[in-house]
Amino acid sequence: MPTDNRRIQGPEISTPYCVFGSSTENEDEDGCFKSTDPLSSTRKDGRALLEHRKIYMKTGVVSQAKGSAYIELNNTKVICSVFDPREIPNRVEYSQHGELFCVLKFAPFSCTTRRSHQQDAEEKELSLNLKRALEPAVCRHEFPNFQVDIYVLILESDGGSLAASITCAGLALADAHVPMYDLVTAASLGVAGDVLMKDPSEEEEKLCSQHFERSNLNHGLITVSLMGAHTQITQVWQTGSMTTTCVSESLTHLIQSCEETYPIAQRCLVKSVVDTISKKKVPEQS
Amino acid sequence: MVKSTSYLFFFISFGNFLSVYFIFQNDLRNDGRSKQDYRPIELELDIVTHANGSARVRLANTDILVGVKTEIDVPTSNRPEEGKIEFFVDCSANATPEFEGKGGQDLATEIGNYLGSSFASPLSFDLKPLCILKGVQCWKLYVDILILECGGNLFDAVSLAVKAALYNTMVPRVETVAMDGGNVDLQLSGDPFDCWRLDITNIPCLVTLTKIGEHLIVDPTAEEEECSMASLVVAVTESGRINSLCKTSVGSLHPQTLTDALKVGVEVGVGLNKALNEALGREEKRLQSNKPERFGFLK
Repeated sequence: MPTDNRRIQGPEISTPYCVFGSSTENEDEDGCFKSTDPLSSTRKDGRALLEHRKIYMKTGVVSQAKGSAYIELNNTKVICSVFDPREIPNRVEYSQHGELFCVLKFAPFSCTTRRSHQQDAEEKELSLNLKRALEPAVCRHEFPNFQVDIYVLILESDGGSLAASITCAGLALADAHVPMYDLVTAASLGVAGDVLMKDPSEEEEKLCSQHFERSNLNHGLITVSLMGAHTQITQVWQTGSMTTTCVSESLTHLIQSCEETYPIAQRCLVKSVVDTISKKKVPEQS
Repeated sequence: MVKSTSYLFFFISFGNFLSVYFIFQNDLRNDGRSKQDYRPIELELDIVTHANGSARVRLANTDILVGVKTEIDVPTSNRPEEGKIEFFVDCSANATPEFEGKGGQDLATEIGNYLGSSFASPLSFDLKPLCILKGVQCWKLYVDILILECGGNLFDAVSLAVKAALYNTMVPRVETVAMDGGNVDLQLSGDPFDCWRLDITNIPCLVTLTKIGEHLIVDPTAEEEECSMASLVVAVTESGRINSLCKTSVGSLHPQTLTDALKVGVEVGVGLNKALNEALGREEKRLQSNKPERFGFLK
């Protein structure tokens, strides 16, 4: 394997120390909840099961980029920059539609285990999902033969990274004045047995990707991105194992969360426009 | 030059679109199928001698060859009791000229990733039997998928071929495992036919649902894929559970369309799994009869 001498590399084979932690980590699923009744129970961070984390959004955080956005869901922090359209490199034939070039990267220190500098398989998969989620919302016929570069960096990951990245990239695209049909917002949901959890944290996501020996076998994670004004699902990504009814029920909850996030994103954009205008006005008055 | 070809392409695809679109009025497609019909599928097992398991699936013009190799590896530290499985898709330029160079790489990673996520749940494929010695040694299955010809609906064909190849896979039986001063000493059975088989009952089949106009169709041909607005891939097990779900093409779906698509997908997927199991049983019988009739590698 080629080594990269310019960056600090860990030893070739290393084991994260959390593996050797006490086995209390793998206790039963109820460990995540304070009480056993799923409907009245609250989660470790004090949220109700169907309660989304509080969202903070901001556009125009990177001055060098054409458009940028930052999003924070408690401990999940994502930054995204979008650059001017440029000609698609190494492409001979003419393409009628412009392309989105999405790169999603976890910062090396973003997870409990260290991430490498090179894109791994998971990051590639998430990049592709991000691209699929954004494509329907962008008027790609407006910039034929050109590509828009979208770089997403996950600074800190605590569950819902893909959903946060999609919302963040949607905002950054709007901030970069890329012609779009609609804003894209996304949400994630975890299923563990009978329990549906909106916007699961890292620990809850881990819980949902395991399977427990019990009557209801459903488990898994779903992420949905939605164009709010058109009620069109731009991407849906599910892993785990569920029944059709469970998937449909989760979808209803997810669409509701996306619709709740939509006005927050809108307000964030309006605020950035108002700010720009008021900044421009100041020199005239003085 | 470039422009004229692209116009020509436009007319061809527009003509196609009309023919594909209008034919739907009578619930019939270009080739006489109804919306939820598959094209004829051919299946062959055990056709590569050096692989532990292999299968070839031909779905009309789509031709997939899958070989499974088993090797010994060290389990990952966070899953010491499990074996490993890895998918590698090769879109060779034989299939279509578009795959030349790095052309097929995106599609290949997409298919590989999606297969990986549909196998991720222990309810679809249990990796525990693949463990030899906890935390020290396990079996790793390399599933190599070769796309020989591309005639639309790659996802479904690939998943059928993968399930068939895993059904056919023989994992050598380990007789004794001993730890010798930190080194592992494995003793495989002397009899090359002393093998065990993988449990494939819960492995899902992928069903691609393509939306053309207002219609949802399964098993799209290459022309139909050209006209599609959006497609959805659902991984369905024999018991009708959804093990993975993903939108794969450009375009978006209304929530109602999505729920309808899921219902259709599960229905079709259950049928597909049943048909595959029957075919696997028949093929197995043919192979076990004293003089199996060989049809040739690629007929």
